[in-house]
Amino acid sequence: MNIIVFVKQVADTEARILIKGDQKALEIENKYNLNFFDEFAVEEAIRIKETMKDSQVTVCTYGPKRAIEALRTAIAMGADRAVLLDNTGLEADDPLIVARVLAAFANQDGFDLILCGRQAIDDENANVGPMAAEFLGIPHVSAVVKLDAVDGQVVKVESEVEGGKEVLEVRLPALLTAQKGLNTPRVPLITGVMKAMKALIPTVDPTSLGVPKGEMEHNASKAVTLSYEPPQQRPPVKIIEGETPTEKVRNLIKALKEESKVL
Amino acid sequence: MPNDVLVIVEYKDGGVRKVSLELLSRAKEMTSESSSTLYAGVIGYDVKGIIETVRAFADKVISVDSSVLKDYRWDTYVSVAEQLVRKYNPSMVFGGSTVTGKDLFPRLAARLKTTIISDAVGIEWNNGGPRIKKPLYGGKIISWLTCKEGAVPVVTFRPNSFAITNRSLNGEVIEESMEIISDTRFSILSRDKGGAQKVDLQEADFIICGGRGMKGPENFQILEEIADIMKGRVAASRAVVDSKWRDYDDQVGKSGKTVSPKVYVGCGVSGALHHTMGMDTSKVIVAVNTDPNAPIFSYADYGIVDDLFDVLPALKVELTKTKKEI
Ligand SMILES: Cc1cc2nc3c(=O)[nH]c(=O)nc-3n(C[C@H](O)[C@H](O)[C@H](O)COP(=O)(O)OP(=O)(O)OC[C@H]3O[C@@H](n4cnc5c(N)ncnc54)[C@H](O)[C@@H]3O)c2cc1C
Ligand SMILES: Nc1ncnc2c1ncn2[C@@H]1O[C@H](COP(=O)(O)O)[C@@H](O)[C@H]1O
Repeated sequence: MNIIVFVKQVADTEARILIKGDQKALEIENKYNLNFFDEFAVEEAIRIKETMKDSQVTVCTYGPKRAIEALRTAIAMGADRAVLLDNTGLEADDPLIVARVLAAFANQDGFDLILCGRQAIDDENANVGPMAAEFLGIPHVSAVVKLDAVDGQVVKVESEVEGGKEVLEVRLPALLTAQKGLNTPRVPLITGVMKAMKALIPTVDPTSLGVPKGEMEHNASKAVTLSYEPPQQRPPVKIIEGETPTEKVRNLIKALKEESKVL
Repeated sequence: MPNDVLVIVEYKDGGVRKVSLELLSRAKEMTSESSSTLYAGVIGYDVKGIIETVRAFADKVISVDSSVLKDYRWDTYVSVAEQLVRKYNPSMVFGGSTVTGKDLFPRLAARLKTTIISDAVGIEWNNGGPRIKKPLYGGKIISWLTCKEGAVPVVTFRPNSFAITNRSLNGEVIEESMEIISDTRFSILSRDKGGAQKVDLQEADFIICGGRGMKGPENFQILEEIADIMKGRVAASRAVVDSKWRDYDDQVGKSGKTVSPKVYVGCGVSGALHHTMGMDTSKVIVAVNTDPNAPIFSYADYGIVDDLFDVLPALKVELTKTKKEI
């Protein structure tokens, strides 16, 4: 089975993010990781490969050169092959464009199954997976928590839906997005890390995939960022005093009623 | 009209979801300013009750009622939503950034080849264009976006982003029948609705969240009781979920859910960045922790420095009293 995993490199939760003077750009500290949910996707692809011989796992990202590090992480885990669709000069982060480029790559490369993360933790969009599936004209299932690759033709999956779970059967080719709970991503072995460090990661020019260049450029996006601002600062905490826990609770409720008027 | 808005309505257990009423309320303010029309799209089977509720909030309610639409599937719902957008030609489509919304709207936007702005928390009009507020990087940055002329964006909003105002509009009901296309390449074998009667975590007005300081799963009973009194929900930190004291569905934070209730009460939660990213947009944050230096106190509005096992019984008693007064 040919499996492609779309992965995104995202700023680490702890990375410092500064708003530049004109409020139009961000400066992100150089601390990046493979997106949290994408680790589940990579892990699942490797597990399928381990049970179904003759499978190949390709990880692919549409991003800047630094995103090679995220691809290396996936190779260290056990992916066979990685491809960077280098977006230098084409830095649109519009999900419509990203999904279109990734779909074009998948189309050209060929696949039976595509795995994505449920969402990227930087934009919290959860868009790229279902959108790429639409561009490819294949079914998708969001937030998969269990995957059973029955044979090369059909997968049986359990997915998280509003307030519960659903079991589905999907004919391949299809796209699935990975939710936490799907598996426990492995920690790469040292041999994997060595292999990843040496791996040659080809860069593909995204304009070679058939999407017209003008439709991938930054100004092709119809969404425009006007400005960035810091979140509103909360006033310092008010520690509620009292002789006993009950007295503290009474004072708290008074404050919630009279000051913040939420009770 | 140039500024017509279509809200795709979500409902659950026979009732309209709060998030949809919030979107209708905000959209109505916007369409009134520009004398445009607010459409509510109701897709499903046997949705008369839903239509009745929604009529009070919209100028026109367009319903597509068919047994094929009994259960949500993206294929059939996208097929209908696409036709609604093409026929009624709104300038924007609104939906909830919910589990279903995150499945449906990206697929819809791609089919329409239109811009999607998701997980927004606010919207304003500015010189005839929208200004959409969207947090990034777990709330560390707030971004403001707009759309170029001619874009018909699909915009999804987090629950609890807007207040609900019922204007008793008595909107006109238009029943549409259309061809519904389903994708035969997948089938749903079974559905487990789980705790369907529970308030949705992201829609809850009141959340009481237990952390590792709760010491064990049995101690969450009192949180359940307090949540019941407040008609809210119990949540949990990842430490609690990883210890299997609570289900993942309850997890708040970077790798869980993002919530913004009116009141969030953290009990024995230290307030790690991964956790606060999921709750720092709450209106009022209360923290109960024995450690006066716990990081959660940098996010909280009110803090009680004391043992939660002494505080919670008192909290239950006092909240019961408050509810009786009302
Ligand atoms: C990639 C990644 C993703 C993550 N995602 C999430 C996420 O989505 N959500 C999340 O919550 N975490 C997440 N975490 C974990 C997070 O970093 C913290 O480890 C976690 O939130 C800690 O949980 P806690 O506050 O319950 O436990 P602790 O940090 O152990 O805190 C327990 C608190 O209870 C207090 N306490 C103890 N006894 C009492 C008592 N009797 N009365 C009152 N207070 C008491 C203590 O003072 C302490 O402050 C993530 C971590 C990583 C690395
Ligand atoms: N630039 C990208 N390159 C490759 N995959 C991506 C990219 N952006 C998003 N994805 C994939 O789509 C998922 C959802 O991303 P998002 O829509 O940004 O929340 C991620 O978890 C990745 O699997």
